[in-house]
Amino acid sequence: MESELIIHNLSKTGTEGVCLLNNINLALPRGSRLSVLGPSGSGKTTLLRMIAGLDMPDSGDIRFNGVSILDIPPHKRHFGMMFQDYALFPHLDVFHNIAFGLKMKGMPRQEQAPIVEEMLALINLKGFENRKVDKLSGGERQRVALARTLAPSPRLLMLDEPLSALDRVLRKHLLEQLTQIFSRLHITTIFVTHDHEEAFAAGSRIILMNQGCIVQAGTPKDLMLRPVNDWVRQFMG
Amino acid sequence: MKARSYTHPYVLAGLVPLVFFLVFYFYPLAGIFLRSFVPDFPAHFRIDLSFLNQIVESPRLHHIIWFTFWQAAVSTGLTLVFAFPCAFVMSHYQFKGKKFLTLCASIPFVLPAVVVAAALDASFGKDGWLGILNIRHPLVLILMAHVFYNFSVMLRILTSFWTGLRGNIQETAAMLGAGPFQVFIHVTLPLLMPAVWAASFLVFIFCFSSFGIILILGGPAYATIEAEIYRQAAHMFNLPVASFLSLLQIGFTLVLMGLYTAFSRKAVRFVPKAGQAKFKRPGKFMEKAAITGSFGFIILLCLFPLAALAGKSMVHEGQLSLIYYRAIFDNPSTSIFHIPPFTAIKFSFIFAGTALFIALVTGLCAALCLNHLDRIKAKNLAGFFDPLFMLPLSTSAVTLGFGIIITLDRPPLNLRSSILLVPLVHALVGFPFVLRAVLPALKSIPNNIREAASTLGAGPGNIFRCIDLPLISGALTAGAVFAFTISMGEFGATIFAAGPRTPTIPLAIYRFLGQPGAINYGQAMAISTLLMAITAAGFILIEKISSKGLQHF
Repeated sequence: MESELIIHNLSKTGTEGVCLLNNINLALPRGSRLSVLGPSGSGKTTLLRMIAGLDMPDSGDIRFNGVSILDIPPHKRHFGMMFQDYALFPHLDVFHNIAFGLKMKGMPRQEQAPIVEEMLALINLKGFENRKVDKLSGGERQRVALARTLAPSPRLLMLDEPLSALDRVLRKHLLEQLTQIFSRLHITTIFVTHDHEEAFAAGSRIILMNQGCIVQAGTPKDLMLRPVNDWVRQFMG
Repeated sequence: MKARSYTHPYVLAGLVPLVFFLVFYFYPLAGIFLRSFVPDFPAHFRIDLSFLNQIVESPRLHHIIWFTFWQAAVSTGLTLVFAFPCAFVMSHYQFKGKKFLTLCASIPFVLPAVVVAAALDASFGKDGWLGILNIRHPLVLILMAHVFYNFSVMLRILTSFWTGLRGNIQETAAMLGAGPFQVFIHVTLPLLMPAVWAASFLVFIFCFSSFGIILILGGPAYATIEAEIYRQAAHMFNLPVASFLSLLQIGFTLVLMGLYTAFSRKAVRFVPKAGQAKFKRPGKFMEKAAITGSFGFIILLCLFPLAALAGKSMVHEGQLSLIYYRAIFDNPSTSIFHIPPFTAIKFSFIFAGTALFIALVTGLCAALCLNHLDRIKAKNLAGFFDPLFMLPLSTSAVTLGFGIIITLDRPPLNLRSSILLVPLVHALVGFPFVLRAVLPALKSIPNNIREAASTLGAGPGNIFRCIDLPLISGALTAGAVFAFTISMGEFGATIFAAGPRTPTIPLAIYRFLGQPGAINYGQAMAISTLLMAITAAGFILIEKISSKGLQHF
């Protein structure tokens, strides 16, 4: 099957000569779920931001459905990205946060409403339309951010450490909810995390990154049973 | 979004204030420079320094320069003497009515200089309530006006710094066996000194470039450099001397501003965490007496002149009357020097509205540009343009107005008879306030909010419209009110730039105060009261907005 997202020889060097990404190659089939795992500073977020178009690589290419997207600005890529601290719009209520992407598409208000309703049902927050986002709990914010990302039906869903700002109990509960939602939507998903349990639960394939390189790629089983080196073994505990 | 994109719309927006500055700030200042040394330009390029002899040989000018420094130093000293004890009380004690007192203390500073002059006149002048005290010597009035005007700045800086200083350091010193007096001399005072210096410098600069107060209360005998620039230019048409005095004024203020920046930087470094300090409740008799004394003094100093002004505007021949307010709409005089008050009010509003618009657009563009430069790590550029955009604050209004009328009255840009000239100058003066209001609000917006919007399909235009603009709307409103009230009260530049047919409220006040007769005096009081009300309302509005302020983050 032809891969939907292809990343080819992607590299970037930071301002002080630090290698942020080193020759990353990756291919994602349509509807697949990938977890990007690695310690902080390993380049996971940089990779995600490049796919989103928020950062530019020094060299290499990113292709989507066979077309290079490097020259397409982020707002024309139609990729959804959920930010680590959610980045909800503080001046808008829950409804307008979720409807933002639809509004940007030029969708009339009466068509937005049913989609927002559907999203609120998906994240179990029915009736929250008029809440101010600063009145929401951490878990509620996280789910609103997810709904906002999903509402405009993005071609690709990216989540940057979506659970890291939550406490442990809540994290476990929301991880289950997330995986349920993923299995219901057949959308290509990239899930970035530093926690291998999350990575195993969220992705059918995993790439493990360190210092800007992919150290190992494979299924969760591969990583657990056949670590390529000591560092991987240590990281996986 | 490339790491460095100088073609981003926000960066290009910076060209708007840049061109605005080149044309209406740097070009006029260059004109002053040129007019000083090359009077015949552009006909002949001949450097003429003969006016320097005029200055060197003129004892009057020597005296003026001396007096400018002298009055600024004395005014600053007096302000410090009065503000210091009050700052002690405000920074140490919690008492009933403290908030109200803080508000009262800050009102004089936001009032236009002409209103302050009129208020002092209403209190201690010939026809003032306390005229009977016979302390209406011009010098006394000037010094009192400067203390009245600058007390709040001094008080604010000292109080906030002193409040931050209190706590551990002093307690530690006390534990080491230092008595209260020793703690004050050896610990508090040395730590407080940078703030005292910084506040004093600021007040000194304000008094140094004070114009309206000096012109109205001082008369020709008590001229400062600012007042003399106006006299030389407007009454004697001695442009080279006026230009040179402007250069002097610019030089002096730049040096003073540099010193102020150095001192305040030092002061800031020392500031311990604010908000830790606990305020004491007064207990001992002495403490209660000190609070009562400060309370009474601040109320008397800050509110009495304003009440006197409002009172004078409503009393005619010993009776309560609104005759002066009704007279605003009459135009009985046919004298060419007469300014019909209603016309002045009308033009003030037109000018202030236009200035608000210009200052808001240019200020917003500058803020967007500086914020974006900061974000794309072009710190050098941001570090260059930020202080550059603040320059109008440290340029005296008189030099600005003078520069503008000697450069923008001929091709390539002749605005002499343009109705836009006054609003443009006012916008230049209001611009730094808009920038300072908007830039922190923009900087407080986390960038990932914009990024989130862009991944949701918002291009630069939509990000501006749907994210940035709504999030800075409070700051923009505050900036707009600033620009409006500054324009309403601006006097120093307006006296040059406004034509005889387009007077403003401050010009009308100045004229009325300078003419004899009860009706003229009463009308000056009435329109001063009006201007005072407008400015005070604007100030209270800004306080309201900024206390709600950056609520989002």
